[in-house]
Amino acid sequence: MAILEVKGLKKRFDSLEVLKGIDFSLEKGEALALIGVSGSGKTTLLRCLNFLEVPTEGQILVNGQVIFDASNPAMLSEKEIRHNRLHFGMVFQQFNLFPQYTALQNVTLAQELLEKDTAEYKQNKKAVMERIHERGAELLGTVGLSDKLDYYPHQLSGGPPQRVAIARALMLEPDILCFDEPTSALDPELTGEVLKVIRGLADRNTTMVIVTHEMKFARDVSDKVLFMDQGVVVESGSPQEVFENPKEERTRQFLERYFAE
Amino acid sequence: MISLSSIIASLNAGLLENLKLFFITLLLSAPLGLVITLGSMSKIKPLRALTRTFVWIIRGTPLMLQLFVVLYGPGLLFGMPMKSRFTAAVIAFVINYAAYFSEIYRGGIESIPKGQYEAGQVLGMTKVQIFFKVILLQVIKRITPSMGNEVITLTKDTSLARVIGIPEIIMSADRFTKKGLIGPLFATGLYFLAMNGALTILLGRLEKKMDYFKV
Repeated sequence: MAILEVKGLKKRFDSLEVLKGIDFSLEKGEALALIGVSGSGKTTLLRCLNFLEVPTEGQILVNGQVIFDASNPAMLSEKEIRHNRLHFGMVFQQFNLFPQYTALQNVTLAQELLEKDTAEYKQNKKAVMERIHERGAELLGTVGLSDKLDYYPHQLSGGPPQRVAIARALMLEPDILCFDEPTSALDPELTGEVLKVIRGLADRNTTMVIVTHEMKFARDVSDKVLFMDQGVVVESGSPQEVFENPKEERTRQFLERYFAE
Repeated sequence: MISLSSIIASLNAGLLENLKLFFITLLLSAPLGLVITLGSMSKIKPLRALTRTFVWIIRGTPLMLQLFVVLYGPGLLFGMPMKSRFTAAVIAFVINYAAYFSEIYRGGIESIPKGQYEAGQVLGMTKVQIFFKVILLQVIKRITPSMGNEVITLTKDTSLARVIGIPEIIMSADRFTKKGLIGPLFATGLYFLAMNGALTILLGRLEKKMDYFKV
């Protein structure tokens, strides 16, 4: 059974239809690369998965369970959305770290807030906090920042802020981790370290949806590629199929233009 | 001959009026400003328009005029005269400063990038958690310099209350000029300088406390 299924997803901003009916599915442990020109709807699709935009039509299923249905108003309540969006993690292009918290605090804050209402927390606050901090430190270790736990975001530059953001997203153990052009705000020589971290996650079979302009990276790291244009999925398939042997003219043109540059 | 101690006593009595007005205004207008901010940022259009019109009127007319209107308005318009001049002064000052504060708050809140809210949202935080755990401190850091300006202005503005008969410090000193003494007037200047010197140090400390992060 697919871990993620998206059915007939549409998103309209006033008169502008940005997503015109998106269907795809993703198996557990797969990495999906979303490619396409700017304005094709990739980022909007990702934001819909995280409920930063509410889709106008369509369904989202996680592990076969409908977590969103545009025709069911009960699923649009704030509480419901807050609960369901935890299936997804999100790494933003601009990192969006919280400036007043250290790297470790950035990673642990949400977990602390989530556990505050549990019985365990009320009984043994200290133990719960310790466990959360240990886990946070461990995650910062996996992104190679063990020595930067107590650094504030402004003290980190280049790739590390985005690596903190990745650890922060991993902390809540999402079923599906989303990346919105994770290296686009970085200088070219710094993209490598961030891509390496994402590659490491792919090797450990993290289910991911990655919006990216790094075609070589998309080809290497993904199990599945979706090429979008003007709000529709033009072509999808394995990286070999899409990159080496595109069936659609629009895909071919896009790739030719990309690799010509 | 006027004794030095009587001058000092007179100035101190005046200063007390300024200080009372200063602290009460600060205490009441800071939270009231937040209420006005909520109105001016509301999704309900009529409420937003109403609040912004109110802010425009308060910021667009002289505080001196507002003092007179609050003092005489209730009596002349509704037959319910203000019983206390000091209360009238407090009302006018609180409304006036709340309007200014509300705009500073609004500017501060609107200057926080949308990404901060979104990062909180995708981490499953509630709106309240996002505001208190993520946004608020960043807003406070951003508005501290402008708030400092307003607070310093307020110390001096309190003297305006003399136009509705509050015996504040400059009024007290002015009485001595009629007897040929300029010294007390200069002394009031020193009082203000001392007060605002202390405020400047305090505000500096507050800013320093928030130096550990950048927004």
